[in-house]
Amino acid sequence: MAPPPFSRSLLALPLLALGQLACSKKDDPKPAPGVEQVPICTEAAPAPAPLRLLTRFQYDNAVRDLLGDATNPAAGFPPENEVDGYRTNAAANAAHPLLVERYLNAADAVAARAVKGRLTEVAPCTDTTAPAECGHAFVRSFAARAFRRPPTEKELTPLLGLFDATSSRGYEKSIELVIRTVLQSPQFLYRVDTLGSPAPETGKVALGGYELASRLSFSLWGSMPDTELFDAAAGGRLATPEDVEREARRMIDDPRAANLVRDFSEQWLGLSRLAGLGREGTPIASKQLETSLRDSLDRFIQAAYFGPDGGFQALFSAKGVWVDTHLAGLYGVDAGDGSAPVTLPGARFGLLTQPALMTLLAHPNQTAPVLRGVFVRERILCLPVNPPPPNVNTIPPDPDSRATTRERFKQHTADPGCSGCHAKIDGIGFGFERYDQLGRYRTEENGIAVDESGAILGSGETGLEGGFTTSAELLARIANSRRARDCLATNWYRYTFGRVELREDECSLGQLKARFARSNGDLKELIVALTQTDSFLYRPARPAETGMGSP
Amino acid sequence: MTRGPNRRFSRRTWLRAATGAALALPFLPSLAPRSVRADERSFPKRLVLMYTPNGVIHEAWWPGNVISEREFSLGPIHEPLQNHKSRLLFLSGLDLASAEAGPGGPHQRGIGSLFTNTSLGTGEFMDGCGQTAGWANGISVDQRVASVIGSETPVSSLQLGVRATENDVQGRIAYAGPGQPLPPLNSPRDTYNRVFNRFFAPSSSDLLAEQRSVLDAVNQEFAALSGQLSAADRQTLEAHQTLVRDLERRLALNTPTVGGCVLPEIPDALDEDSETDMARIGELQVDLLASAFACDVTRVATFQVSTALNHIRYPWVESLEEGHALSHAGESNTEATEQLIRRARWHASLVARLFDRLALMPEGEGSVLDNTLFVWGNEVSMGTTHSHVNMPFLMAGGSWAFETGRYLQYADGTAHANLLLAVLHAMGVPDETFGIPDFCSGPLSI
Repeated sequence: MAPPPFSRSLLALPLLALGQLACSKKDDPKPAPGVEQVPICTEAAPAPAPLRLLTRFQYDNAVRDLLGDATNPAAGFPPENEVDGYRTNAAANAAHPLLVERYLNAADAVAARAVKGRLTEVAPCTDTTAPAECGHAFVRSFAARAFRRPPTEKELTPLLGLFDATSSRGYEKSIELVIRTVLQSPQFLYRVDTLGSPAPETGKVALGGYELASRLSFSLWGSMPDTELFDAAAGGRLATPEDVEREARRMIDDPRAANLVRDFSEQWLGLSRLAGLGREGTPIASKQLETSLRDSLDRFIQAAYFGPDGGFQALFSAKGVWVDTHLAGLYGVDAGDGSAPVTLPGARFGLLTQPALMTLLAHPNQTAPVLRGVFVRERILCLPVNPPPPNVNTIPPDPDSRATTRERFKQHTADPGCSGCHAKIDGIGFGFERYDQLGRYRTEENGIAVDESGAILGSGETGLEGGFTTSAELLARIANSRRARDCLATNWYRYTFGRVELREDECSLGQLKARFARSNGDLKELIVALTQTDSFLYRPARPAETGMGSP
Repeated sequence: MTRGPNRRFSRRTWLRAATGAALALPFLPSLAPRSVRADERSFPKRLVLMYTPNGVIHEAWWPGNVISEREFSLGPIHEPLQNHKSRLLFLSGLDLASAEAGPGGPHQRGIGSLFTNTSLGTGEFMDGCGQTAGWANGISVDQRVASVIGSETPVSSLQLGVRATENDVQGRIAYAGPGQPLPPLNSPRDTYNRVFNRFFAPSSSDLLAEQRSVLDAVNQEFAALSGQLSAADRQTLEAHQTLVRDLERRLALNTPTVGGCVLPEIPDALDEDSETDMARIGELQVDLLASAFACDVTRVATFQVSTALNHIRYPWVESLEEGHALSHAGESNTEATEQLIRRARWHASLVARLFDRLALMPEGEGSVLDNTLFVWGNEVSMGTTHSHVNMPFLMAGGSWAFETGRYLQYADGTAHANLLLAVLHAMGVPDETFGIPDFCSGPLSI
């Protein structure tokens, strides 16, 4: 007999503890001058957390952690609908016929693999004279892990019934059918964050232990909880924000967190567009170029998040570049043994001058000051850019053997109809003029010295604003920018909570930005800080719950 | 729709035909049972909606040498369709009125409105231009049709793409409902697997029984969870559960056929992001669509070639500029204009390929093509203006409802929603209006 999903006595605990946080600033150490306070969100309930389908990334991870199946079956699923670049968006991703068919196919294939030759690991049964007992035990433990909480009797009944009804076809077949069922059940396919106990007096509901375990596992690993999280939830040791923080710190150094950073960065930076690049000037095939550039960027980003000299500033200023033999050839350097980044000819300053981004943000045969300027403003600084008026020619001017790119783009700033926006866009984009369409460094274009001066305009931040003469100067300003730091926090928030922030998110997002700032831009702390926001720890009460004492 | 038992291929008959293996021609009319070719009062009606992005060069799109409604010559874009000229219907003067309302950039508003006649929601979406918009606010024509006729086939509708790999509002044309976009399949291998693997794999009654027990239990799990949720979440689950039940029902359908249904060869695994593979992908997707119709796996499809703000080159027609940037070039840029025409002509050649195949499939006195209605649209009128007036629409087929082989010039400002409503009516869906009623005054007289 499984324990009931939520014991009332356990639930009192998180409520008290969270209530304390919400009303007190005592646990915040006195901030140093100039360091921001973490806001306390006493009033507002967080934004609603509707059911969310697992993304392909989450489905693959969950199947791997549940059954040891690392074949990435969701690779064949249709892509998620993206909002602001993020596949995690809850509202935009409902079930549809194709997806339901793919769930069926994947469940069939995963279940067949799980019992084929691996039955003794997946559903061991030492007493073969009592397969029903083994089967029922498997159903209970498997459902609890797959549903990420103890299942209700009502949820167990169909599974136990299926096992019994098919027992004549043998233990292995019955187990297989149970797995196929569970993998298509909504308890597995959706993240259900709404089963916590209601708080009668306020609009906020503290999440229960199992829900916090799931939020932790999906927010840090993009996967289901591990044994420690399940045990902590079952033992009442996952109730307070401190409990959540303790678990988050344990989890952040697991390789699964590195996978999560990869998934986030892919969407933040739009790296899926590296697929199918056409770039002139290299014999490297498109597919190989994509692989090499992705791998290079990934190693760089991983070092910024998890390496000894990482952090936000390092992300935007570290000079090394990771190269394989293909990129070593392209950039004319020695690849070494691949265990450390190398120094490429010319200057490199962090993420934005990494070969992958400079190549992505380019045209086939030339640089792209406009794409680069728009990217920095939108993705790095969270500054919206207006669209071009329709009746303008946006084909980049043809490469001209007698002029530099800057000269060819000068119509943007000469024409008063264009200059308003393009001074803001190109002003930043020109700062990258020394990195060509393959990310190679150049000081001359067509024999003319490349001018990499420009300006950041309309940023609303004193330290960012104004002209610069070199990319070093541009990128140092970004690395020290509060706006860029806050923007990264905002992007993580959108990715993690599956929505572009609403009014109700204002306070939680403020908490996140403040904690990130206080950590001096520690990127692991940024991920941990997500778990310390109201949006993570609470959900809003449903209308039926407010004023009622029980669910 | 009548489909008597004698019009079915049994699974076994079908498989025997299929094991004829590597057939040079995809369709062999002689394989069709005699009864299929016998005169019948009614045949399935089929719908294909096609989308290509970034407007067109109007001089090359509209017919030339126009003497009368029926006497004209095809423009350069439609040269590949010369053999099917009598089946074409050019419709000028139509505006995407609903695309002029609501938030979003012109590409986003246009693609959202094209087949839904709705404006974009005010959602949370920040588009590439810094404007916020949501998804289209209503069901698309194909899905409305599929909701009526789609239950008769194993797959209710197919969404196919060719490098349509932007997964936001500018990458979606089909909507199951407000804010519910449907993603296209961009890989021919995926298309093949969806259309032919599940529903044509030899399946024993044991397997079907297994499948049924599993899906029954899944249904009970939905019920068990639903009781614990909020009203909004319950709705989400109900919608999902409906799809599961529907799939269960479809799996039990005998695979029916009309005309010469022959299993196509499994397509090569191609890179759906590759400009080198793109032309071949386009051809294969068209071939698979034709096969899907031949085998009556589905009767409703969308076909989307890339997306609005794409950076795609078409090297096989010597277009080495990126799609969206190219479309902004003015008429004075003759090189850009010629590239755009070559791209559009390739799109038309895919249409011709589809028509060639459908025309080879006998059905009654005619062919499957005669029982197919095709509509081709774009999200902006021309790249240089991004306007939504005088949209480049081309219809074809639908001969049971429309007289074809004509160039119809409607009064400026005619709402394209009226065309969508006429399409619905032709497909046997007698709705009174479609999308935003203010922009739909009644079925277009065609």
